[in-house]
Amino acid sequence: MDLKDIKAIIDLMKKNDLSVFEMEKDGFRLKLQKGAGEQTVFSSPAPAAPAPVVTAPGTAAAPASEATASSALTDIVSPMVGTFYRAGSPETPAFVDVGKEVSEETVVCIIEAMKVMNEIKAETKGVIAEIVAENGKPVQFGQVLFRVK
Amino acid sequence: MFEKVLIANRGEIALRIIRACKELGIRTLAVYSEADVDSLHVQLADEAICIGAPPSSESYLKIDRIMSAAEVGDVDAIHPGYGFLAENAHFAEVCESCKIKFIGPPVSAMQAMGDKNSARAYARKAGVSVTPGSDGIVENEQEAMKVARRIGFPIMIKAVAGGGGRGMRMAHNEASLGPAFHAAGNEAQKAFGNGALYIEKLIINPHHIEFQIIADQHGHTVHLGERDCSIQRRNQKVIEECPSPLISPGLRKKMGHAAIKLAQSVGYQNAGTMEFLVDNEGHYYFIEMNTRIQVEHTITEEVYGCDLVKEQILIAANERLSPHVAHAEPRLHAIQCRINAEDPEKNFQPSPGRIAFYYAPGGRGVRVDSHAYTGYVVPPYYDSMIAKLITIGATRASAIARMRRALDEYYITGIKTTVPFHSAIMRNADFRNGIYDTGFVERLMNSDDFEIKAMPARLHE
Repeated sequence: MDLKDIKAIIDLMKKNDLSVFEMEKDGFRLKLQKGAGEQTVFSSPAPAAPAPVVTAPGTAAAPASEATASSALTDIVSPMVGTFYRAGSPETPAFVDVGKEVSEETVVCIIEAMKVMNEIKAETKGVIAEIVAENGKPVQFGQVLFRVK
Repeated sequence: MFEKVLIANRGEIALRIIRACKELGIRTLAVYSEADVDSLHVQLADEAICIGAPPSSESYLKIDRIMSAAEVGDVDAIHPGYGFLAENAHFAEVCESCKIKFIGPPVSAMQAMGDKNSARAYARKAGVSVTPGSDGIVENEQEAMKVARRIGFPIMIKAVAGGGGRGMRMAHNEASLGPAFHAAGNEAQKAFGNGALYIEKLIINPHHIEFQIIADQHGHTVHLGERDCSIQRRNQKVIEECPSPLISPGLRKKMGHAAIKLAQSVGYQNAGTMEFLVDNEGHYYFIEMNTRIQVEHTITEEVYGCDLVKEQILIAANERLSPHVAHAEPRLHAIQCRINAEDPEKNFQPSPGRIAFYYAPGGRGVRVDSHAYTGYVVPPYYDSMIAKLITIGATRASAIARMRRALDEYYITGIKTTVPFHSAIMRNADFRNGIYDTGFVERLMNSDDFEIKAMPARLHE
């Protein structure tokens, strides 16, 4: 494959309004992607024993997901619209702090909606890594409150 | 005057309300579902709060979350638009108890007219003729049969809690009555949570004529003429025009007077619409009232020279009816085509997805009410209307010529729309001669010479 062939492929992509072209042959791999304004072209020699394009589900997938799970953070998001409070009242301490271990049933905060104080549960297991929402400020549906690892 | 208004709706009507608020110097708070995060109304509102997942039941119908957003946003009033909670008396009550003004009629008027059966009873009391039918709810098939024999077939079985053309079935004879009765009840139960039915005589191919009512909180009620909404597909309006080619000035006066009388009898305030069926001999029959602003309010605005949404807000803020609205006279002719994200060549199947390129027509006498734009992704969770195309002309003929021109200019790619379907109707001789009724679209689509021409590629993208 030389530059002439690659230019021909780019022309074909333009003509047919394609945004991604990927091919692999005899240890050579090419991917052309139409980006916003810029065309990135990269090719790389594949490993000696070319990896099959489609991996058998379950075999390659499992180790990968385990690896990601241990480094990923889970978001605790707001299930309602209201005002976020870290404690039950101004005098009592916060329900959780960074480093606190939580389980599904642990109350992590209060969201006040229409004068009703709703206790929000973690619904996940782990350790509080980050407090994202601000105490006393409004939160909307789906807004991230805490991050748990 | 209100300082901040929450818009409890989405799409083009949310945009319409935001525009009216901005022109009145009122701050706006949009509430939206996760599917509408990139919607135009969310971007143009002063503030926006996400209230739930895409399905309407998880967001736009969640009264508690909307009220929470209203509280967090510290709003003075809520405009419910049309559909969703617009005709929900309980929602209006909740607003009242939270001291937030519901921009619409009083709870009592919504309850009186919301139940179709109750509305018919009020009409009879006010001396307004109603379609012959049952005296109230029809409990079972046997009762339905008795009513049908009294008023004569064909009949229409309708849900008392119905709307939007759902929960209704026709029965042409005794044999079909039973199945129709049960089908209507089931559909009504599923769609509105209330399976109660009543019966009306089916008037063959009537004209659907509705009158715009507007009333302030100081007892002043006027009508702003009629709209002809007979061009419907499966009981859904597709094209509306004002004035109606069918209604003479004498009939307009009679029906308008009846509409005002009925509205006053239930203490109606704010904007509302009285719906009638009219036959070819000038007999009119009240069928129901819509206690909200309607999709087709636009053509009345153009013909009568007013801003109905602004007037709604002013009335809710306790202002008297604007003089130019109170004394409005019809000038000009206006037509509206509802542009839906549907494929007319594939039985109007929904066509959600990303609009690759969007160009709306312009020029003299063209109004486009739309939340669409290039790159906008039409979500699959809500109704398919993406734009309202309105043309205004000095005469009906010039409004039609303008609509033909505007439809030909309308360029939308990436999704299928009903633009070509509307073009075909604008070219139809019967429509152009003002000869149509509610059976028009079906007859047209079944005829041999009905052709939907695909849009030619004309604009550079």
